[in-house]
Formats: sequence, C-alpha cells, structure tokens
Amino acid sequence: MTVATYVPPPITALAVDPALRPVISYHGVGKTYPNGTVALRDVDLAIYQGDFCFLVGASGAGKSTFVRLLIREEVASTGRIFIEGQEITRMSRRKLPKLRRKFGIVFQDFKLLPKLTVAQNVAFAMQVTKPGQRHLREKVEETLWIVGLEDKLEKFPDELSGGEQQRVAIARALVHKPKIFLADEPTGNLDPDTSWGIVQLLLQINHRGTTVLMATHNREVVDLVRRRVIAIEGGRVIRDEAEGQYLKDGEATI
Amino acid sequence: MRGSLGALRFALLSAVQNFRRNLAVSAAGVLTMGLILVLVGGITLFLHTVNSVLDQQKREVSQVSIYLQDSTSMASIQHFVDQLSADPRIKSVEFVTKDQAEARQASDPIFTNARKALNFNPLPAAINLKTYNLADLSAVNDMAKQSPIVDNSQADSASSFNDNAVNAIQTFAHVVEVIVVVLVFILAFISLVIIMNTIRTAVFIRRAEIEIMKLVGATDWFVRWPFILEGMMGGILAAVAAAAILLPAYNVGVSRVSGLSTAIFVDQPYFWFLVFALGAAGAVLGAFGSYLGIRRFLTV
Repeated sequence: MTVATYVPPPITALAVDPALRPVISYHGVGKTYPNGTVALRDVDLAIYQGDFCFLVGASGAGKSTFVRLLIREEVASTGRIFIEGQEITRMSRRKLPKLRRKFGIVFQDFKLLPKLTVAQNVAFAMQVTKPGQRHLREKVEETLWIVGLEDKLEKFPDELSGGEQQRVAIARALVHKPKIFLADEPTGNLDPDTSWGIVQLLLQINHRGTTVLMATHNREVVDLVRRRVIAIEGGRVIRDEAEGQYLKDGEATI
Repeated sequence: MRGSLGALRFALLSAVQNFRRNLAVSAAGVLTMGLILVLVGGITLFLHTVNSVLDQQKREVSQVSIYLQDSTSMASIQHFVDQLSADPRIKSVEFVTKDQAEARQASDPIFTNARKALNFNPLPAAINLKTYNLADLSAVNDMAKQSPIVDNSQADSASSFNDNAVNAIQTFAHVVEVIVVVLVFILAFISLVIIMNTIRTAVFIRRAEIEIMKLVGATDWFVRWPFILEGMMGGILAAVAAAAILLPAYNVGVSRVSGLSTAIFVDQPYFWFLVFALGAAGAVLGAFGSYLGIRRFLTV
C-alpha cells in the first residue's frame, strides 16, 4: 500500500494563543496504582486545538498511564485533568460514554473484530454509540476512503496486512468525527515503511483540524516529522518542545 | 425514537447471535433451567391436584348433621333453624325430618333390610349445617350441640362431626404448601446461578467486542441489553420446554388419580396460567441473572 507523501504545513510556533482554551490540560497530575507503583507525578501541560504531539519515553515511563487517564480508564490519584474545559477527574461514571465519544483511539494491536468485515468493523463504532444513524453506509465508505481502503470494504481483518488493519482501526476511530485522536503505539507492530504510511495518515487527520496525540517508541518517525514532543521519564515530563526530537542532544537513551 | 429503535434492533440481533455462537453453553443452560421449571411446575401442579382432592374432602366434611330428639316440637325446631341461619359463619341450614332421612336411605339395601326388621324408623330428624369456612366447623358444631333439642343421649353421636379428619387434612395441606414454597425458592436460586454462568461465558466470548464498545463510548445499558435479552430468551425457551413436558404428564397424572378415588379434572385455565407464570419467572430470572453476570465486566 502506497500513500502519496503528505507535506505538512509549516509550523509557526507551539500554537499557544492565550485566549484559546486548551483541549487537554493536566494540572499537577499524579497516579499511584494500588500496588504502590508511582506511574505519573506532577504532570502539568496543555494541548491545544489542532496540535500534533508525540508522547515519547521508554516502556514503563508512564505513557500508557497518561493515555489511560485521558479516557478515564484510570482515575488520577492527585491533580486535575480537563478535556475541553470539563474536569474529567471528578466526572461521574454515567458521563464517561459522552467523554469517550470525543476521542478516536487506536492501539498497537488494532483491536478489530475478526468476524466482522472492514466496513462492519467501522460501522460497529457508530451502531453502538448512535444506533439508528442515517446514511451509515455512506459515512463508513467515506471514512474508509480517507484511510485509503475504499476497495477493501468486504474483506475480513485477517485478509489484510498489518498496516491495512491499522488503517481500519483508524477509520473506526475517525468515523464519528472525534475532536481528539489518540494513538497508543500505533506503529509498534509495523515495519518502517508501513509505519511511515500510518504517520502520514495521522498528519493528514491533524491537518483537517483534529488534535492528535501519539504515544510512540518510533525514533525515526519522531525525528522526521519534527512536531511537538513530550518526553516522559520515571513518571515525570522531562521535556516538552514545539519541534522536538526523540532524544535531546547529548541524551544517551530514554 | 429512531435511536431507541436502533438500539433495540442491535440488542435483539446481538442477543440472537450470542445465543447461537454460544449454542453449547446456551443449550445446557436452557435445558437445566427447563428441568428446574419442570420441577417447579410439576410440584405446583401436584399441589394443585392435591388441593382439588382436599377440596372434595373438605366439602364432604364441612357439612355436619346435628341429630334432634324425636319428641321435639316443630316450633322449637323452627326457632333453632332461624337462630342458626342468623349465624354469619353458617352457609346453609337444612332440616331433614325422620321420614326424609328414611327416604334418603331407601336405596341402601342394608338399611332397608334392617328397617324391615325394626318396627320403627331409627333415624333421627337432623339439621344439616354447612359453614363457609372449614375452620369454623368445629365451633359451629359445639355451639349447635348446646341446644336442648339436640339428642345428647349419646355424647359422641350428637352430630356427624369428625374433628380428626378435618385437622389432618388441613395440616397435610399446610405442610405441602410450606415445602413447595421452600423448594421453589431453592430452585429459583439455582436457576439464577445457572443463568449467571451462562451469561458470563457469553460475555467472556465477546469481551473484545465489549472492550471496543466501551472504548468508543457506548453506554453501560447499551452493552448490557443484548445479554439481558439473551438471558430472558433462555428463560422463556426453558419455560416452553417445561410446558411441553408438563402438559402430557399432567394429563396422565390427573387421569390416574381420578381413577383412584375422587373425580378431579384437568384444570386447563390453571395449567396455562402456570405456563405463563413459569415463562414470566424464567424471563425475570434470566434478566436478573444476566445483570449479575455482566456486572463486573462493565467496570472499565
């Protein structure tokens, strides 16, 4: 699968307009698991509408916890997290479905349903959140066209390559037009060329105005794209740069 | 409205799909629950039949005859009848003269032979009493015997009242009822656990799907409904299976008992009411079992 290389628009600065309210903000956020593991401590940061952020760090640094707190799979032990001005650290369970509909989420392992076709997998996300949606088929086809799979609608996941499966997952995350796109190690299972294709697609999604947050280990990708990089180590944010690299100059490893 | 219909459609389709995908476990659950419903239904029908027999018996014992002295005047009899009729516990009062009592026994050859040997009518005039409530019979009997016109020459034979028979029947009926209630509760609990486990397996099979549903923002109830419907379907199917077994069994059972002693009949309305109740109980147990079964999978 080849995708025309997307050239991102030039970046001016870390898009921070003081008048803008952040889409995501962390205020002194910490997370300690019941077994005593401290996964995050004192995280303060803001992510604005239209940002494209890489979240980098070694395994166990706290990236996954960062993502899990965002969709309230876990609740922060200290501090407050706001999504579009709404505090989610104190949100009742009843409101979680609405919160989660603001996100489109993809994972390293795709999480596709093997017994459903590509089109059914994408439609599934709509059926379970907005049952009885009109023009479902058109929306599904349109989204699959965006990710470049318009000719694989009736295939099953195991008939697709890894890269194509991740594109299906991306389409499923996109179909309800989320505000924030979360990708947790989306290229972890893919070869470099395929990974690059996926990152291109995420940049394209970002260019349409969606805020994108990608947790990754993929050094090449981060260094090539040159976007905002938030580095986490030992549960702390150690670096947050507008046009960052995977490693800071002089940093041996993270 | 469109949304709810869509949700209902989705829930129904997934429930049927779950049931088929999970057929071995679902079938085992339905069969076990069906057997339990057969037991519950069977016991209930048995009790109903026993009650019909008891009712017959009670009807026979809830009548008592008070025997009168031969010399009693019509006026005092009339007075006694009026007095008894005024009692709210008493359903009917019937005065039977010596001649009428004799006429009623005319078809009994033993009596007619004895009557020929005797030169007089040995049967006393009697007042036949019926009470509304079997439990009142004893008190009414005692009260009536106080009257001076009652033949108290032989203390035990002043009336036809048989205390022990009534009490024994009542105790028996009561014990059977208590046993049935306890059994039904135990069996209901067992079927609840069975449904819970069936649904847990179904949930386990679909955990990937549930994870995605939760992730994209489906509500808890949206996730729950297919499983609750699946549980209800299982319960109703079990009730249908139970009805299919109970109907012939009930017919055969009733005809056997009927041949033994008292005439009783297949109570069709009662049977179908019972099937409906079993179906409703199956559906409720199924729904509740499913609810319990998926509870811990929803805490994401």
